[in-house]
Amino acid sequence: MTAAPAVRVGGSKLTHRYGRRATGVSELEFEFGSPGAVAVTGPNGSGKSTLLRILAGLLRPTAGSTTVSVDGRDHRPADRRDVLGFVTPELSFYEEFTATENLVFAAEARGLEAPAHAASAALARVGLGTRAGDRVAVYSSGMKQRLRLAFALLHEPPVLLLDEPGSHLDEAGREAVRDVVSQQSARGLVLLATNDPEEIQLAARRLELHGHGLGDPA
Amino acid sequence: MPRAASSSTATVWAILRKECRSEWRTRYGLNAAVLFAVTSLTAVTFAAGRMPDRPDLLSALLWITLLFAALSSMSHSFVREMESRTLLLMRLVASPTEIALGKLLFNLLFLVIVEVVTVPLFLLLTGAPPLRMAQFLLILGLGTLSLAASSTLVGAVIAQTRSRGALFAGVSLPLLLPVLASGVSGTRAQWDGMPVDGDARLLAAYAVALFGVSLLLYDHLWED
Repeated sequence: MTAAPAVRVGGSKLTHRYGRRATGVSELEFEFGSPGAVAVTGPNGSGKSTLLRILAGLLRPTAGSTTVSVDGRDHRPADRRDVLGFVTPELSFYEEFTATENLVFAAEARGLEAPAHAASAALARVGLGTRAGDRVAVYSSGMKQRLRLAFALLHEPPVLLLDEPGSHLDEAGREAVRDVVSQQSARGLVLLATNDPEEIQLAARRLELHGHGLGDPA
Repeated sequence: MPRAASSSTATVWAILRKECRSEWRTRYGLNAAVLFAVTSLTAVTFAAGRMPDRPDLLSALLWITLLFAALSSMSHSFVREMESRTLLLMRLVASPTEIALGKLLFNLLFLVIVEVVTVPLFLLLTGAPPLRMAQFLLILGLGTLSLAASSTLVGAVIAQTRSRGALFAGVSLPLLLPVLASGVSGTRAQWDGMPVDGDARLLAAYAVALFGVSLLLYDHLWED
């Protein structure tokens, strides 16, 4: 058994605007360390998803900086995909492929040693084992959401960014999310963007974004 | 989770295999490209007949057929990722350069397959004079490389724009004209018994320049 990695995720004077439109990501200062989970909350349009996209290295902030370090090693935004898993409603899969094929491709592209094994373990973890051979085109919204979760867990990253992880999920799916957050909290860091009271309860810490909601036009 | 060594190569290879499997499943581009090549060659042959004594027309016809057959499909390489919203998945598992290199290799392979079907059919239907095979393959190979490099670069650049389809044609044209001109000139020269070195050098230099520019650009393409 290897020791859990020491993870730190932080932001300094972090600001993001979409053109003239401000978000709740304005002069943000934060730092969170592992183990544990952090709920990122705030009204719709306050910048929760924006913050996660910036941390994932997918979006360059208007001002300020972020850090993601694992065992003391800083990861530049462009290299963060190796150490984090990201669940977002914007993530889509190749519909002509099965769930297994999608995840095997992702595992191969990530350079994992046993792609088929990683894919099947991740699918089993989110309860999709029995439907792994179905094409994604026939998946329901809830099954696609589970697949997003499996995709994020594929490489067992120390940092998990979950944007509305419970959306479209039935009770069993929500239970799977709770399990994932609980296990990941023990071995790394989870940032959970949500306004769902049940999901907020999964996190001991909280980062509240104070935007005016639906984007501050000022 | 253990990782294999040389993960950039593994990533590019994985993307190439994914592209091949996706094309095989959907036949999105190959059917359209081959259908275009066969239809246009058949129509021209019916209208103009066989023309073994017109290497000038033959070389232009060959490159126009190859260009349009390929472009009708290769432009979709990145556009399809945008429209099916799968580019984010790619970005979460690979760097922009790895993505573009995987797609470049796929576009190269795609072009080679289109050429394997189109060139023999072209030679058969038009009654073209015998080829100087080494020179012909040199020009065809370098032209293919330039064509793939330019269409991959343009596809990547326009992927996030709104009018992707219209932009592809507009942005591609100036980039593809030198390829087309040198390809036509070199192919004609090999039929005329003239040296093809000048055209080959131009095509090679163009391919290298496009590839170099692409490597510099790819990592900055999709920064929001």
